[in-house]
Formats: sequence, structure tokens, C-alpha cells
Amino acid sequence: MKTLAEVFCDWEAVIGLEVHTELTTLNSKVFCPCKVEFGAPPNSQVCPICLGIPGTLPVLNRAAIESTVLAGLATNCTIEKQSMFYRKHYFYPDMTKNLQITQGPVAFCMRGGLTLEVLGASAAERTHLEGTQPVDQSNVNGASPADGYVTRIGITRIHLEEDAGKLVHIGGESGRISGADYSLVDYNRCGMGLIELVTEPDLRTPEEARLFLQKLRLIYLTLGISDCSMEQGSLRCDGNISLRRRGTSTFGTKTELKNMNSFKNLHDGLAFEICRQAELLESGGTVVQETRHWEPSKNRTIGMRSKETVADYYLFPDPDLAPNDLSDAFINEMRSRLPELPDARIARYVTTLQLSLADARILAGDIELARFFDRALEAAPQTASTQELAKPLANMLINEVSAYLNAETLSLEQTKLKPEYLLELTQLVLSEEISSKQGKEVLAQVFIQGVSPAELVEELGIKQVSNVEEIGAVAQRILDANPAKVAEYQAGKTGLLGFFVGQAMKATDGRANPKLINETFVNLLSKGTESHG
Amino acid sequence: MSLSPAEYTGFSVLDILTGLDCRDFTARDVAKAAIATIESLEAEHVGAFISLTPEMALKAAGNVDGTCVSGASPFEAGLLAGVPIGYKDNMNLLGSRTTCASRMMENYESMVNATCVSKTLAAGALPMGKTNLDEFAFGSSTETSAFKTTHNPWDLTRVPGGSSGGSAAAVASGMLTVALGSDTGGSIRQPASFCGVVGFKPTYGVVSRYGVVAFGSSLDQVGPFGRSVADVALTTDAMCGHDVRDSTSQNIDPTYYKSVLAGQREGIKGMRVGVVSEYLNAPGVTAEVTAAFKEALQRVEDLGAHIVELELPHAKAALSAYYVIGPCEAFSNLSRFDSIRYGYCVPDATTMTEQYERSRAEGFGPEVIRRILLGTYLLSSGVYDTYYYPAQQVRTLITQDYHSAFEQVDVLLTPTSPRTAFAVGEVSDPTTMYLSDIFTIPINIAGNGGLSLPIGLGLDSGMPVGLQIIGPQFKDSNIMRVAAALEATYDIPRLAPLVQELSNTPGGDAR
Repeated sequence: MKTLAEVFCDWEAVIGLEVHTELTTLNSKVFCPCKVEFGAPPNSQVCPICLGIPGTLPVLNRAAIESTVLAGLATNCTIEKQSMFYRKHYFYPDMTKNLQITQGPVAFCMRGGLTLEVLGASAAERTHLEGTQPVDQSNVNGASPADGYVTRIGITRIHLEEDAGKLVHIGGESGRISGADYSLVDYNRCGMGLIELVTEPDLRTPEEARLFLQKLRLIYLTLGISDCSMEQGSLRCDGNISLRRRGTSTFGTKTELKNMNSFKNLHDGLAFEICRQAELLESGGTVVQETRHWEPSKNRTIGMRSKETVADYYLFPDPDLAPNDLSDAFINEMRSRLPELPDARIARYVTTLQLSLADARILAGDIELARFFDRALEAAPQTASTQELAKPLANMLINEVSAYLNAETLSLEQTKLKPEYLLELTQLVLSEEISSKQGKEVLAQVFIQGVSPAELVEELGIKQVSNVEEIGAVAQRILDANPAKVAEYQAGKTGLLGFFVGQAMKATDGRANPKLINETFVNLLSKGTESHG
Repeated sequence: MSLSPAEYTGFSVLDILTGLDCRDFTARDVAKAAIATIESLEAEHVGAFISLTPEMALKAAGNVDGTCVSGASPFEAGLLAGVPIGYKDNMNLLGSRTTCASRMMENYESMVNATCVSKTLAAGALPMGKTNLDEFAFGSSTETSAFKTTHNPWDLTRVPGGSSGGSAAAVASGMLTVALGSDTGGSIRQPASFCGVVGFKPTYGVVSRYGVVAFGSSLDQVGPFGRSVADVALTTDAMCGHDVRDSTSQNIDPTYYKSVLAGQREGIKGMRVGVVSEYLNAPGVTAEVTAAFKEALQRVEDLGAHIVELELPHAKAALSAYYVIGPCEAFSNLSRFDSIRYGYCVPDATTMTEQYERSRAEGFGPEVIRRILLGTYLLSSGVYDTYYYPAQQVRTLITQDYHSAFEQVDVLLTPTSPRTAFAVGEVSDPTTMYLSDIFTIPINIAGNGGLSLPIGLGLDSGMPVGLQIIGPQFKDSNIMRVAAALEATYDIPRLAPLVQELSNTPGGDAR
């Protein structure tokens, strides 16, 4: 099989994504009052309504509309005031009513889009840049054209619907329904609010697909509408892929790829499917329109069921639910509730806080780090220059804190570090009261003990000696005690500076400000040269 | 203190409340008399019930008596204190089965109380049982029930109408004082007309649909049967109003009985009453129905109301629209009966698809299958635009027709049904059966309220004839007022005479 780069010489991939996101932060399911906690015992979060007991009726949870509209506003969609819920019919045991309540031709959110900045190694996957813009100051703060390109991915719609239950197949091969001895159903998930986002077929590389999903996830996390866990299935992504010869514009036959439950799987699954289709087409075969299953362990996609005929879902407006009629006041209220979105945050970090683009993207790219960073800065006294603090704070988070979290596989929330502690620590290092090496040691203690770094420094007695007179006195004592070495130094053996500094550190239990002690020795020793010379 | 069936069957709701208040009898006496009446009439003659719940009735009666013993008025126990009630068997009542008269649901134990059930129980009503219906409420004669044939108490060889035939027959025979039904195209009004009792379908949204197994969600409405307009009004007052579990239910004040009193005291002088003369030329309207209807109009005029001739240009399309919208919603609502979680399940299926297909084919009767197939076809992609969409447009036009009609009149009168009750087995052709609802269906399409009032016996058949009184949306008070005033001019028995004789025979008293 050809590599992706080889395939892209002759072929253009056309990719569209369908992203399902569970509204896990709602207090209840979308049409009943059931709770929505992950990991509850099977069939413990169900009621007559989500079980579809004859005679029960759905009643819309208003907060679900709020989450959907927020998602739409954050992805530049038009919010449709008039829309209806529809019933989509199909028989499957994970459905309690054998119909799914979803939205019809008009969804709450229509015609949006996101801009993708494809930089560095990600940009290299795309060999033909038609339809994109080069990166420059106007679209990415602090970037230069060589860094990559910018492309816009259209969003067709975002609609609200209810989720189905979960089937577990017992016996048989690989936990799939065919060949299973029996199947169990857990309806806890049945009726949970789900938003489905459909993109236009605007994506051209697996990297773009991955970046799009990462950006979307970050937006949803920023909005707080879902925990977006691909592992737990609250964020699920299917891809539609087709190929066409470079320079042509008609669409080829597409396949739908499922089971891409991580960013890596999304990328690798799409990349494999692109190569598979290319090989098929180049050997004179045709692509069959079907749903395929990505098997990461075996590095292959396998066909699930043929989609040659479009399934008939007998869609019609749900008569149990009144048509949706959103007011301008409601939409404006939602708009006013929009938090600072990731792109705006990056721009603020670069422009206002003077962080490098790379640092800004790292911080803003992790919602937990970004929120922690913002809170730490907010805790700074009004008189302090935020710019001065921002850079060392960012460094501390990106380097020290991240390294610790990675090593311990913890999230920030699971440690006892607080934004104000990190601020305090940064200030201690900045004012040279402790060295950056000591800073790391203190941080390691704060993570575990959750105490103020200033108090800890006091308690440990490790406060750096930065007093000029004190340092001067120590230095003079050492020079006086080592006249031979002084003479050697002054004769040109300047490497002896390290010896003097080492002695001073020894004399102060390592608390001497290394920068200050260095300067002091250089001064004292040069004075001597002058006087003797 | 005790009550004989003969005494009990003559009671109105107010008779029971007054009797309890004067300590003439207890709610347990009423319950026992109702049980005795049912014992003497049900099994051999009427066949109105699918299941009986005498223990529940006696327990409820005990609760009412408990309230009264403490010196309180029965009204404190509720508007329906000590009143025997029956629920159509598509209404969930905890502790009973809800079968929808279908093999599919033969052993289905209710998991919730329907709101209309819990509200009437909270009002002190005594639940006597679940009444027979056409399977899943699809029909106009109660003959499509999978379990039994219900007989019209006025003539046991005839049908009681449908689909709420069991409720209508149980009230007409005196086994129940009031009963609930559901009305999707006439399923309360037509059997009320056939059985000579009062049946009322409130405006869509007045009574919550929660817990009533859905047929056509945008058409279904719960309503009461009684032997007087007052009984029907009091029962409506006990169960109307907004329900958080049904987003199509509305905030309604319980002032139905108040409107009845207004009609009785102040009459209807000066009210404007609309009539569509064209209706009497509709297919199948019999001479005896026309005669009774004309006589009713004369009485309305005699009471000082003005008759206004009207046209409803789109009403003739109502039946077509109904037989598109109804089956589509029914197909969808009945999808959940798949044998997986509850309901009839073939024991020997080897694949999931086979289990679905055979369980549904064997569990549903022919009329249900007919409507599901019709709905499936009508909602298929490509077909939807040809039928469902235009049907909704027609619906809008019909609704507008009624809106403009009610700018000119306060109520509209039609016969309830073109003919009186037919013999069991007489009508086997579905489309002929469908025609018995031509006057009631447009009202479900438009969403207005409608009541069937007995206006005497047909000159040819000797069977009851009903007058349909239709009101503007959410102004059911107009209906109550006209019905109460007109009712007072008739002196006709509401209890079927045949059954009255049977219940008076010795041994019918189970003291």
C-alpha cells in the first residue's frame, strides 16, 4: 500500500465529520428528569419516560437548548428561531421507543464554520495548498508564512437529539452482535442529550480532521457543555471519506468510518482508509458505499453494513412536542453567556501578555492549564505588571507543572496546587528570594502539602541570601582565606571563579543568590587586580 | 344502611355526594352496590369490562368514608368522592393491567398512573375496572377488541359504538356512574350517542394525555362519560389543567360545572348557534337522525337562541386528512411494541428480526396492522410530500374554517353520528365503518371541544340519537351552557331500560 504522501500526489481526499457530543453537564436527560452520571450501575438511571413506557410523553429540558445554542454561537452558526423536533424511526434494542427524537431539516444551529490554523508538522501532510491562506500576522498572531496555512471548515448544522442505550454482546467473537450468545442492554444513556455536529466536506487531510476535532473539543470544554471524553464515549466522531483525482471536482463514492475513539485513531483510521481507497481505485476497483469499522490493533478498516440504499427513517414532526420558538432575548442572553473562546484567549496571551505564540497555544490548548493560568494572574496585586509575571508563570505551568502532572499522571484538580500558590512561587523566584532550582523543590512540596510557598520557604529556611552586604562579607572572608588562589586568578586563571562561588555556597548552605555571589567575586577580584596593578 | 342496585343505578354524582353528606349511605355502600350491579349485568349481558378492580374500589371507598367519619363534608374528599368510575383500558392504573384490548399487551402491568387516573382518584372516585375498547382505540364499534364483544345496553344485539364502547355501555347500563374515554376521531362522542349517554371531548390540551397509551398524539383527548351534563362537567373539573408531564396540556380553570349551572339558571337566550345544512345531505345520514336533529334545533330556537346558517368549506376534506395524520402518528406511537422489554413475544424466534416481525404480526390484530402499514407507507421518503404534508395543510385550513365560524356563532350543532347503533357484525367494510365518524373527526382535526347529548330515540330503530355541540377552542363553557339548557327540555331515560329491568330482578342485590 502507498504511503499517505504518495497517495496525495495523485489524489485529493474529501473528508467530512459527524461529531456526537453528550451533554454530560446537564442535570438531567433531555426529555425526562433522570440523572446522567457516568459509570452508574446498569439501568439505574432510568424512568418510565426514557424507558418509553406506553403512555409516557417527552418534555423538553430547556437547559439542553441552551447548551446547543451556545455550541452554535461558538462555532459561528446562525441560530434558527423556528425549528421542530422530529421522530426518526428504526428498530433496534438499544432504543426504548424504536424512534429517536431529533431535529428535522432545520436545526437549532445552521451554517457555521471554524478556522483551522495548520502549523508545523501538521501542515506538512497537505501537499497542495489550493483553497487555503498562508499563515501570517493577520490570521495568526505572531506567526510567519513559513509556519503553515489557514483553512476554513464549514459546519452544516448542529442539532439536538436523544442518545440511545448501550448494548453489550456476550459470547461470540470480539464482543460484536453477530455470533453473540445473548446481548444485554443498559438504558442509562438512553435519552441523554446529544448534539450532533455535521461538517461540510471541507477537510483534506487526516491532520486537519484531528485538529478540527481538537479545536471543537476545546470550544465545548470552554463552554462547559460536556466533559468531551472520547474514552468514555461522550465525544464520538465518524468520518466520511472519498477520493478524487487531483484537479477534478466531482465527489467520489464515500465510506463512513466508525470507532475512532481517540485523536490518534481518528487520524490513523482516516489515513488508512484514504490509502485503502487509493489502492482499490488504482487497481481498477470501485469503492462501495458502506460503513467501516477502524481496528487500530490490526491497523485495518473492515466493512460493517452496506449503505447502498439510503435507510428510510419515516421522519415526521413529533406531535408530543410544541414547535421551538426561540426569542431574540433568549439568543442574546446566550450570546452574553459566551465565555472567552480559545482563539480569543490565544490572541490575548500573545498581544496583551506578550507570550510567544507557541506558549500561548500550549496554554490555551489545555482548558485546565489555561483556566489555572488566568486565575493565577487574577490573583496578582493590581500594582504588579501582569506582563512581567505572565511569562514566568506560563513557563512554570508549561514546564514544571506539566512535567509533574505527566510524571504522576494526575490532573491539576487532583493536586493541592492552587493558582495563588503558583503565583506566590513565581514571585519568590522572580524576586530572587529563592533560586529556580529551589523553586522546583518547593513546588514539589506544594503539590502534595497544599501550603503557601512563602510559608514553606520560611519553614525550610531556604530563603536565598540576596543581601549585598552579607554576600560581600562572605566573599571577602573567602578571598582572605585563600590568598594563593586569588593570586592565581589575578594572574589569569579566571576559571577559579567557580571555586570561589562553590566556597561561598558551602558557607551559606547553598542559600546565596548565585547571580549575586558571582557578580560580587568578579567585582572584588577585579578591584584587587586594579589596586595591585 | 345499604344501597340496592336499583337505587345506585339512578344516582348522579351529586346524588352520591349529597347522600354521603347526609350520611344516608357510605362510600363503601356505593362501592358494594356498584360491584353487585356489575355482577348482575356484566358477564352475561353487557361485557363492558376487560378487568375489574373491586378491591381497589372498596379501599378507595374506605378512604372516603374515613374523611367523612371525622365529620367532614364529602366535598373535602374531592369532587368525585364515592363516585364509581371506570377507565378505558388504554389508561394506566397502577395495580391493574393496561391491555389496550390487544393480545400484544394482554399481560402488561401498568407501571404508572395516567394523570387523568391519578387526578380522579385524588378526587375520591372509586375505580371499578378497566373498560373494553377497539384494539389500541382503532375502531368505531369496540368489535376489534382482542378479548370480547361489548353489547349496547339498549339492544344487546347491537354495538355500543367505539372505540370507548366499554365506558359508554357501562355508564348506560348503570354499572358505573361515570367513566373515562379517549377520543381521537369521535371515540367518546360516537359511543355516547350510540348508548344514549353524555360524552364529552374537551378542547385538545384541557386534560393531560400522560399515561394514556397514545394513538394519534395530536388528535387524542381524554374525556368523560356520564348520564347527565352535570356529571360530565364535574368529572372534567376533577381532571383538567396543566400537567408538567404533558407539554401539550394547558392551564385550564375547573369551571365546567359552573358553566352547567349558568346554562340551567340563565338559559341560552340570545346565544348564536351555528348549523351547516349541507351536513344533513352527507352520505349515510338517516331520516331518524335528521328528524331528531331538526327537533333539537327547534328546541334551541324555543329557548331563545338564534340559528345561524354556516359553511365550513374545507370540512369535507377532514376525513381524508384524518386517515393520513392518524395512521402516521399511530405507526410511530406503536413502534415501541416490539416484544423486547414487554408485550407479546413469540417464544421460538431464532433471530432478532424474526422476533420483531412475528411478535408484531401475531400480537396485533388486523385493524392495527392495517393502520401501521398505512402509516409506514404514508411516511416513506417520497410519499411524505404527497400525503402527510398536504394533510397538515388541509388541517390548517379546517382549523381556520372553525376559527372564522366561531367569530359568527357561540356553538355549532351537528348530529353526532349519521346513524344509530348498528348490529354486531353488521359493518365489516373498514371504509363504511370510518364513515360513522364523519361529524366527529373534523373536530379532532381542528382541536375544538365537542359533546354528544342524547336527544331521544330514533323513530325507526328505537335507538338513542346524539346531538354534537361544538365550541370554540378553549371555550368549552359555551358547550356546557347549551348542553345543560337543552338537556333540561328533554325527559328521556339515560339508563337503558332493558338493563334497568335486569338489574331490578330479585337476586341482583348483593347486600
